[in-house]
Amino acid sequence: MKKIITLEVNGDLHEVAVAVHQTLLEVLRDKLGLTGTKRGCAVGTCGVCTVIIDGKAMLACLLLAVECQGRSITTIEGISSADELHPVQQAFVDQGAIQCGFCTPGIVMTSKALLDKTPRPDDEQIREALAGTFCRCTGHIKIMEAVKTASQYERAEKKSD
Amino acid sequence: MSTKRSTYSIVGKSRPKLDAPLKSTGRSLFTDDIVLPGMLHGKIVRSPIAHGRIVNIDTSRAERLQGVKAVITHRDTGGVMVGPDQMLLCDDTVNYIGDEVAAVAAVDEETAAEAAELIQVEYEPLPAILTLQEASAPDAPILHTYCEDNFADERTMVYGDPDKAFAESEYVRSDEFISNPTHNCFAELHVALADYSLPGKLSMWTPSQTAILFQKNLAQNLGLSESNVRMCCLNTGGAFSGRTDVKPHHYIAALLSRKAARPVKIMCSVDEEFIVCRAGGNNIYRFKTGFMKDGTLKVIEADMLHDCGAYVETQFIVLLLTGIMLQLLYKVEAMRYQGKLVYTNNIPYYFHHGGGMTPEQFALGQHLDLVARDLGIDPVDLQLKNAVEKGYTTLSGTHYASCGLKECIKKAARKAGWKKKYGKLPPYRGIGIGCGVMSSGGKGMFVHDTSAAFIKIAEDGKASLFTGLPDMGQGSHTTMAIIAAEALGITTEDITVVSGDTDIDPFDVGSFSQRGTFTTGNAVKAACLDAKKQLAKTAALKLGVKPSALVFKQRSVYPKGAPEQAMAFEDIVFDTLHSKEGRFVMGRGFYNSPSDKASLAYSFGTQIAEVEVDPETGFVKLLRMTVAHDVGRAINPLAVEGQLDGQAFSGAGQILFEECLMDSGQILNPSRLDYKLPRPFELFEIEHIIVETNDPFGPFGAKEVAEGPLVTTAQTIANAVSNAIGYPIKEIPVTPERILEALKQKQKQH
Amino acid sequence: MRLLRFEHFKPSSLEEALTAMQESAGNVRVLAGGTDLLVNMKCGLEQPGLIVSIGSLPELNTIAEDPSGDLRIGAGMNLSELAENSLLAAKAPALRDAIKSIASQHIRNMATLGGNVCLDTRCWYYNQSKLWRASRPACYKTGGDQCHATRGSERCHAINSADTAPALIALGAQVVVQKKGSQRQIPAEDFYRDHGARHTVLEPDELLSGLVIPCGNETGKTHFLKISRRQGIDFALGSIAAHLAGNGSTCHSARLVIGSLGSAPIVLEKTAQVLVEAGLSQESIQAAAEAARSELGVLTTLFSSAGYKRDLAQVLVKRVLHSFIKKPTTQKRTRR
Repeated sequence: MKKIITLEVNGDLHEVAVAVHQTLLEVLRDKLGLTGTKRGCAVGTCGVCTVIIDGKAMLACLLLAVECQGRSITTIEGISSADELHPVQQAFVDQGAIQCGFCTPGIVMTSKALLDKTPRPDDEQIREALAGTFCRCTGHIKIMEAVKTASQYERAEKKSD
Repeated sequence: MSTKRSTYSIVGKSRPKLDAPLKSTGRSLFTDDIVLPGMLHGKIVRSPIAHGRIVNIDTSRAERLQGVKAVITHRDTGGVMVGPDQMLLCDDTVNYIGDEVAAVAAVDEETAAEAAELIQVEYEPLPAILTLQEASAPDAPILHTYCEDNFADERTMVYGDPDKAFAESEYVRSDEFISNPTHNCFAELHVALADYSLPGKLSMWTPSQTAILFQKNLAQNLGLSESNVRMCCLNTGGAFSGRTDVKPHHYIAALLSRKAARPVKIMCSVDEEFIVCRAGGNNIYRFKTGFMKDGTLKVIEADMLHDCGAYVETQFIVLLLTGIMLQLLYKVEAMRYQGKLVYTNNIPYYFHHGGGMTPEQFALGQHLDLVARDLGIDPVDLQLKNAVEKGYTTLSGTHYASCGLKECIKKAARKAGWKKKYGKLPPYRGIGIGCGVMSSGGKGMFVHDTSAAFIKIAEDGKASLFTGLPDMGQGSHTTMAIIAAEALGITTEDITVVSGDTDIDPFDVGSFSQRGTFTTGNAVKAACLDAKKQLAKTAALKLGVKPSALVFKQRSVYPKGAPEQAMAFEDIVFDTLHSKEGRFVMGRGFYNSPSDKASLAYSFGTQIAEVEVDPETGFVKLLRMTVAHDVGRAINPLAVEGQLDGQAFSGAGQILFEECLMDSGQILNPSRLDYKLPRPFELFEIEHIIVETNDPFGPFGAKEVAEGPLVTTAQTIANAVSNAIGYPIKEIPVTPERILEALKQKQKQH
Repeated sequence: MRLLRFEHFKPSSLEEALTAMQESAGNVRVLAGGTDLLVNMKCGLEQPGLIVSIGSLPELNTIAEDPSGDLRIGAGMNLSELAENSLLAAKAPALRDAIKSIASQHIRNMATLGGNVCLDTRCWYYNQSKLWRASRPACYKTGGDQCHATRGSERCHAINSADTAPALIALGAQVVVQKKGSQRQIPAEDFYRDHGARHTVLEPDELLSGLVIPCGNETGKTHFLKISRRQGIDFALGSIAAHLAGNGSTCHSARLVIGSLGSAPIVLEKTAQVLVEAGLSQESIQAAAEAARSELGVLTTLFSSAGYKRDLAQVLVKRVLHSFIKKPTTQKRTRR
């Protein structure tokens, strides 16, 4: 049985027919064409499908799409502008925190959620936030540096505003 | 970083990867992101038993299910073999839990999964052989009838006179070590999208380290000509040696697509990932060495038994490398090696990052550490005493034109404060050293080890670089662009790297055997020099000097010593095309190491680990790693650091955390949760030491940094743990339970 | 891995939810955070025909101090919110610590307290896909008559890994269970059954609606500790919560509860007795740790010997008791 629901993704409202057993991940990728959110383990253990919902990093593979009505969903497609990358993305690029790039969207979204709430995180807070993500290439080392750099970029940006 | 100032404009300067901005936005396409018109979804039916005969396969119910478009069994494969001993889709025997028996393609994943469950296979179980000991026993049942026993392959190597060397040795020690299987755990799961809708051409999208080998094998086994197989390897979500060969799911996707005449995607589930292959190696090693009392190594002897699982793929490489490696790192008079691949009914083995060298180097490294202890020699001194050096030729005939091993040992020891710490740390704190070596390129394994490259230069002075070298995240496309920019005297931003489609790419064996920077780098350089020659002809005429007197630098061309006469690079390109000759500038080049048996260049590394062991829980805390590596020349230091970081972390995982727990042929922990990959909380401090020895054969002096650091890490950490607990480490990974067991054994001895 | 079809009902009140539970008892599951249930469903371990979504019911999303000073927490409270809740931090820091140790921040951002309290028991041979499980006969937990983890056993030995469970029991918490038309309140200790295949006393038409933590008259202190292979996103190898009441080194009462080493949290009564008799000192801690070792009836599972489990339990007891004599600091999870 399908339901027609309205999802708010990156500020846009999408009216979409979904089966109640479909996850947000399936709907984002298969119905809305938002393939930036990657499909990984599908059971909540790798973090590659991280999206931000109402300000919090969540796993699109473990959310039913029907449960996401009325919530504000941000995906990786929604954080950069036409002209520039989001400071978190720019920091990941500059610090060499991206290798194969498969885990990157999820980790960028996780980091963004962290910095939105905690603009100057310490190492422990960064590790805590990233504990549910998984990067097999970088050993997480440059990712830690990138999150700190992103924090600096964001503060510099705020100052110049 | 330790190096003389380089004279290069671009090489040696850190820069972000060219594809990083796009990857940061999630818009880089991976195979699962591609949806072709009319695409179906495939699902494989796998054997639930480790060994047995297939009595009957009934596909009728699956075929009748609404939405099913193709069902295949061995009857549909035309007898395709995917290896010397492996039939694509089993006909009468299944040899491991997960062996492919049938497959379906349907309109969506749910229907495909439902149909796969409707296929009824009747089995008659046979006794399964699951351990190396059982399989190698003289009276063991034989698993593959083409073999006389369960030894799928074996290799013996002897150099010098080992017996004489042992007889002359003043000290001899032997040890046995065990390594347990691991898994690559790439971020992107195994996936294949095949479009074989029309009989004449197969197109396949899949993550890969080598489009060429995939193309070759698919063509050969499906009876197509190579040009009729198009491999599209867009982005690859990590590989770590695990994506160098075509696997059954690739063939199955192709055959389903052929039968349904529609594209078919097969995406493995996260636990299926662990059924496609295990890695790392379930090995038993026996090491024996002979030394003089002053620590001079005379002879090495080693045996290896390797559980290759149900089928052999390219494990002969592990057999070969394990032997060769024994005599590459230390000066030694003689060596003897015997390695055997052993068939079992376990999940087939495939490479994990390090190509089997990670466990081997662990065993050798820990063995030497025990020797140092016995002889009362500081391990650093033992390493320095025996380390190979520039100009040395090994027993197997490998000559080192560059070698920074001793520099790595000294610098790492100094940076880590070895002298202040070794033997002086508080109880349960430990420090350990390890050394490693790795070839740059795979010469010796194949007849040739060729990479080719094209470059075309547009009128605006910008260039497109065509390469068949896949970038799985290591940043090789950027490295190649840097090499091209340096060779042409333009900037990295001027280069567009075109890659990932065998219809377009020039030949390249692929991204494995640590051959990218060295081999493809040399090919790219050659292609650029070819293009440069064409430009130099024009510039020489314009500037009235000989072509050899021209300097190409920073987008300009000028006579040596006269930069004021510079012409813009793009003007030279323009003039070359807009002339009577109308010459379009395009360079071609290829590189195949001219040596016969071995690579021309080897990288060397030394690492030092500091750990703290909790004697009550057996937990190890890795405090810091000092990682020194002789990379010849760091083309892009930022990428080199990324390699050092990633491999140190991965090596720490392999030695302290990762293990496929086996029970009756099944992996008990096939998940990102229970297969204990370390995560950010398990991070440690890391200190990089990039040693540059400017290899005469490497492009701008560069050598590999793809696996050399990794094979050094495991032994380093094992040695540190052993130092902390004062007891040898004989089995990896070194889990808390194994450490407590070691501490109990130690107590018993006292 | 994908979910199979089911019906989905989002009630607007707890009453509506309980009605639905009663009407479909046996074929219904409540969905709150979904981080445990949906994974099990993807693995084909559960296949309810109806999902009742209770995550956002206002009745279940409250935390407040009642007039007697006890803390009442709704089962639907989100774990991240609780981890940062100042009332919880002040009243029951040990529960807060247990909550912070659960899984990863991603999971805590979605999961609920009730979900963790009810967390299904886990086992190597159970938490696997349908494909994986097809290689073996069904076990007690999947409707069969054997245990693959402890061969020859007469019951299921799946492990209770709910990190909040030992903390709640040590705190003397009560679990509030509701069904249509009735409500019962039971001590947290009695909520769990030492049986992996049916590990709580919840009936099919019941749901856990909240918890009551007695803070009013309690004078003691509680500490929680978890040891896991990996510090983040991991289930415990073993955990412990200890509640001690007393003056200085005397100890009027003690409750020690071990988690993740059995199908139910294990209350160490003899060990507690050692402390009550001897008071709290370096010597008694050692004696208590040894008592715990012999009191524990843990079994060898394939990859964790009973010996290692006892070693770990001993360490947990020692370390958690040490945190009572150390100067109070913010509790951190033990590093791996």
